[in-house]
Amino acid sequence: MQPLDIETFKPRLKTLGKEQAWAIHSAALEILAKTGFKMEHPKVLEMLQGAGCTVENENWVTMPAYVAEEAIKSAPKQYALYDQQGNKTMPLTNDNFFYGTGSDTIFTHDLETRKRRRTVIKDTGNFARIVDALPNMDFSMSMGNPTDVPIENIYVHAFAEMIRNSNKPISFIADSGKDMKKIYDMACLVAGGEDEFQKKPFILNYSEVISPLKFPENVMEKLVFCAEKKIPICLPSGCNAGGGGPITLAGAMALGIAENLAGLVIHQLAGKGSPFLFAPNVSVLDMKHTVVSYGCTEWSLTQAALADMRDEIYQIPIWSFAGATDSKVIDAQAGAEGMLSIITSMLSRCNIIHDVGYIEFGNASSLEMLVMADELVGMSRFFTEGIPVNKETLALDIIERVAKGPEGSMFLSDPHTFEHFKTAHFLPELMDRARYESWEKKGKKDLAMRCNEKARRLLKEHKVIPKSKEVETGIDKILNTK
Amino acid sequence: MFDYQQLIDSLIKGEKEIVNNLVKQAVDEGLSAKDVLDNGLIAGMNVVGDKMEAGDMFIPEVLMAAQIMGEGVNFLKPLLRDDQSAAKGKVIIGTVKGDLHDIGKNLVAMMCEGSGLEVINLGVDIAPEQFADAAKENNADIVCLSALLTTTMPQMKKTIEAIKDNGLNNRVKVLIGGAPVTQAFADEIGADAFAADAGSAAKKANQLLSVSA
Repeated sequence: MQPLDIETFKPRLKTLGKEQAWAIHSAALEILAKTGFKMEHPKVLEMLQGAGCTVENENWVTMPAYVAEEAIKSAPKQYALYDQQGNKTMPLTNDNFFYGTGSDTIFTHDLETRKRRRTVIKDTGNFARIVDALPNMDFSMSMGNPTDVPIENIYVHAFAEMIRNSNKPISFIADSGKDMKKIYDMACLVAGGEDEFQKKPFILNYSEVISPLKFPENVMEKLVFCAEKKIPICLPSGCNAGGGGPITLAGAMALGIAENLAGLVIHQLAGKGSPFLFAPNVSVLDMKHTVVSYGCTEWSLTQAALADMRDEIYQIPIWSFAGATDSKVIDAQAGAEGMLSIITSMLSRCNIIHDVGYIEFGNASSLEMLVMADELVGMSRFFTEGIPVNKETLALDIIERVAKGPEGSMFLSDPHTFEHFKTAHFLPELMDRARYESWEKKGKKDLAMRCNEKARRLLKEHKVIPKSKEVETGIDKILNTK
Repeated sequence: MFDYQQLIDSLIKGEKEIVNNLVKQAVDEGLSAKDVLDNGLIAGMNVVGDKMEAGDMFIPEVLMAAQIMGEGVNFLKPLLRDDQSAAKGKVIIGTVKGDLHDIGKNLVAMMCEGSGLEVINLGVDIAPEQFADAAKENNADIVCLSALLTTTMPQMKKTIEAIKDNGLNNRVKVLIGGAPVTQAFADEIGADAFAADAGSAAKKANQLLSVSA
């Protein structure tokens, strides 16, 4: 047989046709040009006017399509995030995808008591520490809004806690320009100065505008700050279908894209060429319970469609979600919903994928869910890598050797198996394939319990490379300034 | 003999024209506007509220019924006696200072209206003084405060203080809600009630009224 040199096809999901993509894009441009949006930041209003937008009734802005098209052009199509030690761990190029946690939950499930309780600052540390330990988690978010730190400073404290407990990149929340400045100062401290940070940024900001079409002043402060300091930012709006946006998915997407484009224009005007993460969050508002669903099939569908729109139109890396559930506990629903969003976000090549570990539609967090999702990402990653076809993997020699070999020959004991078994298969750790007797002997533990034990073990055993004394005291100093 | 059950069933099913016709028919048959309101429209919306709570109705169906009820109320209002009120009580609602998220608040407003209350919706980003002033001016029974952002929760406490400072705390009850809000927080800041969702907010508002009446 001739040596083979065949490229491996990587499984890929496509959910939107070219015509559909351009129609939604055109609809978004029409929303900006005809309906317009409410801008509550006076300086940004001036900027927009200077760039060709029209302002009516004090703060109602309409934007011609060319203004949005220019911003799409100047936004970088590829950039990278680094870890806190300066390694390029999140290159946003090609078809790369990265998973991480979410922010702002009110409750968490305590690992020890397994009961739901309000979040405290230590939970933020625990999530960051476990993200640091897990192989398939790439970045941290605060996960909770802690009740045991001053409420006007929760985001600064959460950021400091993530710095102390992780060396992976951080996606952070801020309330306004004021706490953002403190967070930026901390990040520069960790990087070894502003110049070093600029060369190897390890943070990105998550901010939200309000659907439909409202741009609050404090959010614009953050957007402008990030643009000026070249901190990557995503600015999804909550245009969930039926709540922030129209009930139909196409309209909710068009609205969310319009809001994102307006944000991108402001961002590029404040810092041309600064990195931006595209895409709104288009979930659904549940029609019985009026919660924004984190387990629904629609959000997986709309973000896969947005990935297609990125490929077709925007080219800018996109922000998305996965590994979350509406279930109140870690059960079959949590597993099913978590996997649906994880595998579809990966197959459609969403780029930065957050909210892993959310339960109760993001009202609560769970370390068990996070640990489970890490394995689901691992399974999905294996699937997405496809099937390499070459001499070594076709293994014709080995087939002949075993089939025609002496009595007792088998693949299981062949050197080819010894060499490849760790990479040829995905080797699960939490998914249980034990025979009944051994599962029984180990205490008949369900997946949630196995995740609980793994999370507890990681918290106990995982060592985070510590920050220098200088960084630690510097962080404390910033925390204590008014 | 007018069939209230038919009116109630049509309201639950969202049959606008049938409800409108039945309301007119009831008045034509000599029933008092107050009777039609209480035993027809409000009675129907009470069933809607229970069905919603049980998960047997979708929110748009509930809001459809509420809108149809609103039309009926508008028809009946001019026919009420001077000493009769179309509303069981008056509610002031808004999101607290610093919070611009208004979907939840608007939903609560509609649900309260649907349950027979008069609602004055102040909008978003409402300062403590504004709430207190509006409560005073309108002689309100209940003030509903909404917050989505954790960082705006302290404004709920400040608003309750402003209501107290204006000497209204004996007369005006405060009901709070929103994603980060819990019963424990309501207790801590001295709110009269907490509601976890829009349906229970309307229910709690009505309970607060019957307690104060």
